[in-house]
Amino acid sequence: MFKLSELVRWLGLTEFEILINLCGLLVFTITLSFKIAGTFNNILPELMSDWFTIFSPLFFIDICNAYFCVIVGIRMYLDSDNKRKALHRFMWSTYFLVLIAIFKYLLCLKLSGRTGLEYSEVFSPIFVLLQLVAVRACQLPNSI
Amino acid sequence: MTLAHRALFTWFIVLVFLILLCLRLDPRTTWNWFVTFTPLWFFDCILIIYVIIKFIRKWRNLNRLADLLLLYKWNIAGVLLTITSQVMICLTLEYPQQIPIYFTMTPLCLLLTTAIVYVGSRLGKREGWLI
Repeated sequence: MFKLSELVRWLGLTEFEILINLCGLLVFTITLSFKIAGTFNNILPELMSDWFTIFSPLFFIDICNAYFCVIVGIRMYLDSDNKRKALHRFMWSTYFLVLIAIFKYLLCLKLSGRTGLEYSEVFSPIFVLLQLVAVRACQLPNSI
Repeated sequence: MTLAHRALFTWFIVLVFLILLCLRLDPRTTWNWFVTFTPLWFFDCILIIYVIIKFIRKWRNLNRLADLLLLYKWNIAGVLLTITSQVMICLTLEYPQQIPIYFTMTPLCLLLTTAIVYVGSRLGKREGWLI
């Protein structure tokens, strides 16, 4: 339904960030399979019982993306004449990363049973992010 | 449909799905998982129609069928793998312990791998792809 360039325009992520996210998701899917199947429960019982270990690929890609966004933000600010655009891009990436990271952290806590939050509260950062994404969708030009 | 319309439509589908998912995960409802995934089934139907329309618009004669399949290989693979992944996830959630988790995750892993190859190939063709 969407071309890659259209997704980049809508979500405000570069192709490289999308690629990193996909790689992280693939690794996460594999570790989640191991966790559910209990494959390594005998070999690494402590690691496999902790949900933060299972979610570590996703946290790792968040760190990678944050580093990438900082570098791109600084370069855009220094090289570009349009400082406002650079700041906008940096702010959007920050919102995106922070909200996603909060969601993952809350989900880990919930799955570990360390918090009494309901799932609707755990998903609240995603709902906030969806609102921001809707605003970006409304800002897209009608000619494309 | 313009990009804005498609984006808002997708946004709405995701929003409804997340609301249904929250209701299902919290012990407020005991819906069937296939019902919970209804917005995604609807989106899949639209996706299939979209791909078929794209296909028909290019399809002039039967001789070009192989070329067309090759041209739209990413679209076809994406749609098929997405639907298979969703069906397998629903089946596993609805009938836990009956389906091995590796069977469930295989279509999802294939989908992610296909997406990685697609995005990687697009990225490889571009210069100055970091910004």
